[in-house]
Amino acid sequence: MRTVIPDQLKVQLRYPARAVGLAGAAAMVASVFLPWSYGHEALDDVGFTGLPSPLQFVFLILPIAILALLGIPLVGKAKLGRWAKIVAWNTTAKTASLGALATVVVALAAIAIELGGLVNIETGGWLALVGAILAAAATVFLPDSPEPTLSRVKSPRWLQITAIVVVMAIVLFGSAYALGMDDAGAFLTLAALLVGIILTLRQFGVFGWLGIASANNNRVLVMSAFVVAFAFPFTQNGSNANMSIAAQVLIFAATALGLNIVVGLVGLLDLGYIAFLGAGAFTAAVLSDSAFATINFHPPFIVTVLIAGTVSSLLGLMIGAPTLRVSGDYLAIVTLAFGEIFRISMLNLDGSDGPNITHGSAGIPGIPDLNLFGFDFGQAHIIAGIEIGRFANYFWLMLLVMALIILVFTNINHSRIGRGWVAIREDEMAAEAMGVNTFALKLLAFAGGAFLAGIAGAIKAHHDVSVTPEQYVFLESAFLLAAVVLGGMGTVSGVLIGAVILKVLPEKLRFFSDYRLLLFGLLMILMMRFRPEGIIADERRQLEFHDDDEELADEIEEELITHHAHLNPERKGFEL
Amino acid sequence: MELFFQQLINGLSLGALYALVAVGYTVVYGIVQLINFAHGEIFMIGAFGAYATWVLMGSPSDWTATTSLLVLLPMMIIGGMVASVATALATERFAYRPLRGAPRLAPLISAIGVSVFLQELVRLFFGKIPGMPDAKSSVPFPDIAGISGATITLGGVIIQMPAIFTLAALAVSTVFLWYFVNRTKTGRAMVATSQDPDTARLMGINVDRVIMAAFAVGAALAAIAGVAHGLMNGNIGFRMGFLAGLKAFTAAVLGGIGNINGAVVGGLVLGLAEAMASNYLGTTAWKDVWAFVLLILVLVFRPQGLLGAKVVDRA
Repeated sequence: MRTVIPDQLKVQLRYPARAVGLAGAAAMVASVFLPWSYGHEALDDVGFTGLPSPLQFVFLILPIAILALLGIPLVGKAKLGRWAKIVAWNTTAKTASLGALATVVVALAAIAIELGGLVNIETGGWLALVGAILAAAATVFLPDSPEPTLSRVKSPRWLQITAIVVVMAIVLFGSAYALGMDDAGAFLTLAALLVGIILTLRQFGVFGWLGIASANNNRVLVMSAFVVAFAFPFTQNGSNANMSIAAQVLIFAATALGLNIVVGLVGLLDLGYIAFLGAGAFTAAVLSDSAFATINFHPPFIVTVLIAGTVSSLLGLMIGAPTLRVSGDYLAIVTLAFGEIFRISMLNLDGSDGPNITHGSAGIPGIPDLNLFGFDFGQAHIIAGIEIGRFANYFWLMLLVMALIILVFTNINHSRIGRGWVAIREDEMAAEAMGVNTFALKLLAFAGGAFLAGIAGAIKAHHDVSVTPEQYVFLESAFLLAAVVLGGMGTVSGVLIGAVILKVLPEKLRFFSDYRLLLFGLLMILMMRFRPEGIIADERRQLEFHDDDEELADEIEEELITHHAHLNPERKGFEL
Repeated sequence: MELFFQQLINGLSLGALYALVAVGYTVVYGIVQLINFAHGEIFMIGAFGAYATWVLMGSPSDWTATTSLLVLLPMMIIGGMVASVATALATERFAYRPLRGAPRLAPLISAIGVSVFLQELVRLFFGKIPGMPDAKSSVPFPDIAGISGATITLGGVIIQMPAIFTLAALAVSTVFLWYFVNRTKTGRAMVATSQDPDTARLMGINVDRVIMAAFAVGAALAAIAGVAHGLMNGNIGFRMGFLAGLKAFTAAVLGGIGNINGAVVGGLVLGLAEAMASNYLGTTAWKDVWAFVLLILVLVFRPQGLLGAKVVDRA
């Protein structure tokens, strides 16, 4: 972040600014031990003297980081040695201070709104605000430090693996804690705080280092991510509320991954993708043991899943074969039209004007729970003294499916087919001239993505108990596309993050629900304007979106060189 | 046979509505190769602008047919045009212009965002404007004396006056459009830019202004269509742009996208096809399906459209 303050002034003011910044951070630390507000409802109770609330404990991270970042350089450049260059001390302190200020402002606003007025804020709250303002104002006046070089520090393997495991553990407990919050103000405060901490860590260079560590230890990363996700139901004490959200997130994410093949890898815009999920769900529903199922053929679920996937991919072929020959714009609208045809057909196949397959707008209710190899998904199970409920069962099943999808996705991505797809995305004519069978590959992507969505739909039908046409409207397709775009087209981890953000935030911000779509539309516009490559950028994709930015090109090139220099050449794993 | 003529009139008036909206897609696509996904919402905002004008004029309900036709309706159309053109120019400036030159996926996704954003803007905030009704559900469109509810009977076929208004509006707009494109400087600059933007720039054409003109022309016609929709259906709502936009795009592709005459022909053909299909091929429940099936068939057998597209594949 660059400021307009002249460098000369910054150099002159560096000692007083540092002192004021330290004082501000100290004030923030002290404020945590004073009550912020006596109202017990606000921010899950921040009214204790001498004993901070859990939220305040997490907040402490930022002021302590500021104290360390501003304090440690006082020992002098000689003693700091190479660490003077490895860490961007001043800039990181500035990021941390601004993050702390944003958090305090959100927290105080939440108190004022929830309890009705600023009078409810007590000494601690005001002290925190003053401290945050002081720290933020002071650090803005500190001279900028050069970019951190932490990512170039060589580190032993065990440290890298430990770091990955620690990060994953923090993700597990952090998400369990955040999901457990039912107070919107506290949730928003925590969100602001987390963004502040994440930006501070990034400025510190931690992410650059972690990126290299995880590239070196890909398998450890993937395995620990799955272990963490697998362990998540155990943090919920049998409560179903969050597990239901988590299972929905996974179904959504699996579908988004399918869409990611089509949009992210091949660059074909599909605006009716939800229809493939719907086709899978309706297929599974009419073949299920529900009393309302219209087809008198009830195969075991394994067979049903395959039929659902096949039906979806056949629809994909039907829609793809005529349209994939013309330009991508047409495809976008034809898929949109196809999504509408699907929805209207499902509505109209109620027997009054054609065969009765779907019971029209009533849909097919009463779909029984899955029963795989004698394991009843509807029953709660006790594992290690913790109750694992119905939604947790579906969560685990989806996790398995996700693992499979990710495995297939990453392997295909690095295969001849995947390279062909990327070539088509980047320049279809050149790809064709190089001998890539563009039509067949595009069709394969279309049918393959639809197959994944069909599988997810089959599980969704049993998870949701009922299937109705109104679950598969255009807006859902737009949400899927937004998950892919927001997270980062063509990456697995980005799409997962996008799916989590788009599904979890609306659940936690229900007071906001009326403005949800407005913000969603705005987010799509702003995202395309300022960061079209998404939160987690696929490197090649990032270059595509900024092809006139020479600086960025150099940066990415340099990153790739350091990245590959660190990579162990004989190790080959899947990449997340 | 009477039924056939009845469906003919229904189909033509519906088609005229599609045609008015389709011109907006085709003009913009011809110049910037962007499917302005939010154009359906521009049409919706035109209808709401006309409604707001009616409220601002004091919700006149006792005006005679002559004053209604000569003063009220033109004022409402102008009000609708102001709203839709302003919205279209704003979206062009803030959502599309910054993305010119980006990969083609970017503006299309941005357009989806604009579409959702505009719908929600009307749904949440139209009722907040003093004097306006809540727009969270559909709003009854004002009755215009002499048009709403009036019919004329021609040889046993009953023709609704709103249908005649829509057809007349299309006829006038087509003449105006022909004059604009072929006889004015801006119109000819538009043709030049759609043929070759770089050369047009070298010839001294301000391409930014031409693009803005394209958006404005499309939005103005969409506003007329919005008023026509209000008169024909009797109510307007924040969601009305989605399906109408999709149909209009189908019409534009049917006629050959980028081709202005094609958009008009495509709209009329689509409207007729829908009316005839719902009459002779089952009930009205499936008429939207027939329209989209037609779109897919056109893309398979004649991707350049009925009158030939200016561009078929420039991806």
